[in-house]
Amino acid sequence: MSALSFRGVGFAYPSTASGKTTHPALAEVSFDVEPGEVMLVVGASGSGKSTLLRTANGLVPHTSGGRFGGDVIAFGRSTRSHHPRELADVVGFVAQDPEAQTVVDHVERDLAFVLENLGYSQEAMRRRVEEMLDALGIAHLRDRDPSTLSGGERQRCAIAGALAAAPSALVLDEPTSQLDPQGADDVLGALTRLNADLGTTVLLAEHRLERAAPLADRAVLVEGGRVGPVASPAELLAGYAGAPSVTRLGRLLGWDPPPLTVRDARNYALRAPLDLPEPTASDAATPGDAVLHARGVGVTVGGHRALHDVDLDLRAGDVIALFGRNGSGKTTLLRALAGLQSPTTGSVTRVRDARAAYVPQNPNTMLFANTVRHELEETLKLLGQFGSGRDHGEVEHWLHTLHLDALADRHPRSLSGGERQRVAIAAVAVGGAPVLLLDEPTRGMDAPSRTALEHAVREHAANGGSVVLATHDVELAARCATHAVVLGDGEVVADGDARTVLAGSLFAPQVLRVLPPFLTVEEVATELQRR
Amino acid sequence: MAAAACVELAPNPVYVALVIGVAALAVSVHARPGPYARAFPLLVGIGVLFALVRTLLTVATTHANTDILFTTPHFGLPRLLGGFTVGGAVSWPILLHSLAEGFAIVGVMAVFGAFNAVVSHSELVQSTPRAFYEIGLVVVVALAFVPSTLSAIQDVRDADRARTGGRVVRRGRLLRQLVPVLELGLERAVTLSESMDARGFARVGAGPRDRIAGWCGIVSLLALGGAFVALVGHADLAASVLGLGGAIGLGFAITLASSGTQRTRYRPRRMTAVDWACACATLFAPAALAIVSVVGDSSLVWSASPVAWPALHVAPVLALLPLLVPVGLRTWSTS
Repeated sequence: MSALSFRGVGFAYPSTASGKTTHPALAEVSFDVEPGEVMLVVGASGSGKSTLLRTANGLVPHTSGGRFGGDVIAFGRSTRSHHPRELADVVGFVAQDPEAQTVVDHVERDLAFVLENLGYSQEAMRRRVEEMLDALGIAHLRDRDPSTLSGGERQRCAIAGALAAAPSALVLDEPTSQLDPQGADDVLGALTRLNADLGTTVLLAEHRLERAAPLADRAVLVEGGRVGPVASPAELLAGYAGAPSVTRLGRLLGWDPPPLTVRDARNYALRAPLDLPEPTASDAATPGDAVLHARGVGVTVGGHRALHDVDLDLRAGDVIALFGRNGSGKTTLLRALAGLQSPTTGSVTRVRDARAAYVPQNPNTMLFANTVRHELEETLKLLGQFGSGRDHGEVEHWLHTLHLDALADRHPRSLSGGERQRVAIAAVAVGGAPVLLLDEPTRGMDAPSRTALEHAVREHAANGGSVVLATHDVELAARCATHAVVLGDGEVVADGDARTVLAGSLFAPQVLRVLPPFLTVEEVATELQRR
Repeated sequence: MAAAACVELAPNPVYVALVIGVAALAVSVHARPGPYARAFPLLVGIGVLFALVRTLLTVATTHANTDILFTTPHFGLPRLLGGFTVGGAVSWPILLHSLAEGFAIVGVMAVFGAFNAVVSHSELVQSTPRAFYEIGLVVVVALAFVPSTLSAIQDVRDADRARTGGRVVRRGRLLRQLVPVLELGLERAVTLSESMDARGFARVGAGPRDRIAGWCGIVSLLALGGAFVALVGHADLAASVLGLGGAIGLGFAITLASSGTQRTRYRPRRMTAVDWACACATLFAPAALAIVSVVGDSSLVWSASPVAWPALHVAPVLALLPLLVPVGLRTWSTS
C-alpha cells in the first residue's frame, strides 16, 4: 500500500465574488508516494505546489472549498471522506509560515496539542514530547513563547508540533524559505534523521534545492497544476531551470549524470580538472557618488541591542548583499537606512535627500489594491507622479521586468507567495527611489523570478541607483552583488567586495566550492566561450 | 479579581492610584516575555481614552449652577433624542467627579492589563475543568489576535511609509492601511484554523454525554436566570429553589461533560501552595476594604462637591497591602 496516493486529482478554488470556481489549480494529478521515502515537489511560483500538498491531508478541499475531483488516499483513508483532523494521526502538515501555525503560546504545550486531541495518556504524552524536543534539538526552548523565537527555531517547533503524534507521513511546504543557511541545515538534518530513524514518509516542496534535492529519493515537477512523471531528483533537475548551481554547472561541463551535491561535483572536477584562466573582472559600472552614509549606527529595541556601531556607505551603482543569521540585525539595519527606525546612536545621512524605499519581508503588509497594475499605479499617485505622461511606461516597464505582465489584472492576494513578493518589489521600485532596500526578496521565488529580480537589481544599479539586499541566498549575491556585508549579533563582522567576502565564508556559493575562484555558472560559461 | 474588587470598593482616586501602582509593579516583576507584555500599557491607554471620552460627554450633558469653570455654546437635542442640552456651563464638581469615575475605569483596565501581561492564558486553560477546554482555547486563540494585530498595524504603517521612500501621504491612508491589516488577520485566522484542524482539534464529535451535559447546562442557566428574576420580584422561596437547582444542575453538567470528553490534558496545571497563598492573601484585601466600608470609613469614596482634595486614611491603605503579596513572593523566589 502506498503511503500517499493521488488518483486523478483535480481542483479549482472558488472565486471570491460569485462562488463560481476559477481556473483549475490542479488537473489530472496521479502519482504515489511510497512508505518511508522522501518525495520532493518542485515547480514555479503559482504552479500549484502548495495546493497539491494541502490535498495530502484533506485541507483541500475541506477547508478551502472549491471543486475537487479524483481522490487522495492517505494510508488507506480517503481525504474525500476524512477531514484533516481525522487524518492527524497519519499525516502531519507544516505550512509555509510557522508563526501562524502555533496554537498555544508555550513551546512544550504546543507540541502536546495534537497528542491531547488524539487522547494520548499523560505518560505517553510526556515521553513523546521529550522525544520530539530532543529529535528537533529544541529542548532549550521548551518554556519559551513561540512568538519570541527566531524563524528557524519557530520552524523546528512547528515541525515538532506536526510530528508529535508520530504520523506516518510529514508534508512540508517550503520549510526552509525563511531560514538562514544554518537554520535550513538544522531543519533538513532533522527531517533526514526522522526519515532514516523512524521511516517517516516526507512530501516536501522547496525552491531552494541546493540542500533539499540531495535528501530526496524521488521528485515530481508541477507545471500549471499538472504533475509530470515521478523521477529521481538527478533526472528531474537535469533539465530544470531552478536546479542547484552544481547541477547547472554539471550540465554546462557535460558531467553525466549531473551532480546534486558539492561533494559529487567536486569529485567530477577532481577526475577531469578544468584548465580555466582566472575569471575576468565584472563589467559592472564603477561605483559613483555616495548616496547614503550610515555612521556608528546603533539601535536598541526593548532593551535588546539590535545593532551596534554599524558603518555603511552606499554609492551609485552599488549592490550590497547583507548577510547574517536570523536575528542578526539585517532587518533593523534596513529599517534604519529607510528612516523607519531611529538610531539610538550614530546617524544615517542621505546625500541630496536621496529617497530610500524599503520592501519588507512580508509583502502582504503593503498590498491593498484590486489589481497588480493598480498596486503599481498607487505608488505613483502617492508620489504625485501619476498622470505625468511617463507613468504608463514606468508601470509597464516594471511589470515586464519582474515578469508580471500576465498577472497585471489579477488581484494581488490571489497570487502565490513568490508572485506577491515580486508585486511588492515592483510597487516600490516603480516610484524611482534611488536607494532600494530589499528584505529577503527571493523568499518563495522560483528560479525565473529570481533571474528577473537579478536583472532588475543590476539595471537599477547601472542606472545610478543603489540596492541593499538582506538575504540568505548566497547564490543570488554571487550573481549580482558588488559588495557584501556580514552582520553578527548586530555588528559588522565582514565588509568588502562580494567575491572576497563570499570566498571566505563557510556558506560560500556552490560553484566557488567546486571551481574556485569562480562564483557562478555564468562566469564559468563566459570563460569557456573565451577559450 | 481582588484588585478590581478593591477599585470598586474604594474608588477614591488616591486608592485607585495605589492599585494601579501595585498592578504596574506586578507587571514589572512578573511580565512574560512576548507580545502580551504590552497588554498593560495598551489597556491602560484604552482606559485613559475611554475615561476622557466619558468625561467629555458627561461635562457636555450634565450641568450645575455652582463653581462654573467656563461656558461653551449650547444647543438642545430634539425630544426624540432625549431633549437635553448639550454644551453650556462646565462646572468644577461635575468635571472632577467625572474624571474620578474615569480614573476608576483606568484602574480596572490596569488590573485587567496586568492580568493579561502576567498570566499565561494557555496555562489558565489547563487549570479549568475539561468541559471548558474547547471554549477556553477559542478564547485564548482569540486573545492572541490582539498582539498580532497590533504588530500587523505597525508593520503596515511602516510599509506604507517605506513605499514612498519615507514621504508621508495622508490621502487614502486609512484604506491603504486597513485593507492589509484586515487581510493579514484573516489569513492568519485561516492558517491557524487549518493548523488546529490538521492537528486533530475537535476530532471527536459530541457524544451522548456531551449532549446531555449541554442540555443540562442550558436548563441550569435558565433556572439561574429565573432565580435572578424571582429575586428582583421578591419571590424569595422561588428564587432559592431555582438558584439551588440551577447551581447543582450546572455543577452536574460540568462534571458530566468533563468526564465524558475523550480529550486528555498534558500536565494539567494544579494549584500549588504558593498559588493558594497568593489567592488567599490577595482576597484578604477586598475583604478588609469591605470591613472598613462597613465600619464607615468616609475616605473610600470621594466627593467633588464641595471641591476638596481626596482623603487618605491609614486603614484602607493597610487593607490594600495584601495586593503586594504576589510581587513579594516572586522577589523571594528569585533572590
